Amino acid sequence: MDKCKLLRELSAVKFAAWELHLYLDTHPCDEKALEMHKKYSERAKELTEEYEECFGPLTHKSGSGLAWIKDPWPWEYKECDC
Amino acid sequence: MFQYEKKLQFPVKIKNPNPKLAQVIISQFGGPDGELAASMRYFSQRYGMPLPELKGLLTDIATEELSHLEMVGAIVYQLTRNLTIDEIKKSGFDKYYVDHTTGIYPVAASGTPFSAMYLQSKGDVITDLHEDLAAEQKARTTYDNILRLVDDPDVREPIKFLREREIVHYQRFGEGLQLVTDKLDNKNFYAFNPSFDKNCFKNCRNRMK
Repeated sequence: MDKCKLLRELSAVKFAAWELHLYLDTHPCDEKALEMHKKYSERAKELTEEYEECFGPLTHKSGSGLAWIKDPWPWEYKECDC
Repeated sequence: MFQYEKKLQFPVKIKNPNPKLAQVIISQFGGPDGELAASMRYFSQRYGMPLPELKGLLTDIATEELSHLEMVGAIVYQLTRNLTIDEIKKSGFDKYYVDHTTGIYPVAASGTPFSAMYLQSKGDVITDLHEDLAAEQKARTTYDNILRLVDDPDVREPIKFLREREIVHYQRFGEGLQLVTDKLDNKNFYAFNPSFDKNCFKNCRNRMK
């Protein structure tokens, strides 16, 4: 699996879920938004698992030690297309 | 509590370093309308929020601002990598370099270090939300100014993303202000401080009558 392609898709899905999460702070009973938030969150969970299995942990809950400290860190320039 | 996620909210991948740009973009790291000020403003103000919607909103936007701080840091970091002394001298980056080398320090483009004086936490929900609305617009203007100075699409894309977030946060804060004023005496929103005078909401007042 292409790391950058997967990270891009994961970021897009996570962003959609986050945007709905913010919207739901001020519209907490919007059924349609709640449904969409659930859908995007579930997809984000699947993609996170897929990404972590191939490329290492995204949070401390999914791994420690060498797997966690592995370069590159998010602020570093990467040659690949992501 | 907080947990780190080892990814940026939006990708930052800048092929060509440019220390001249780094010197203006760093204002959104530690400047008066930057992401650090935004995050600290909302984290500080949230304790005075009288409604659950606003406690959630301030917490969530403060958290998102931290991820924007990380993105701006990444932009400045990548714009200043692999510099030669000649490039540092020619670009005017020497004034930053002498104090910080290429370390990332919270400072305005003018050279003024970050200060809590950039923000207020007034303990009055109406006052604080008005500051928040203004803060989002000030940050949006700063990003517009940056976009006028930048041609490189690698830099423009993440800056455009950050600019859009200011507009969405402005919208959400506007809704928050509407939520709180809807619950107050609409003849005079300013007769009370809704964060301090706990009985000023419509239902409580009606009960008191």
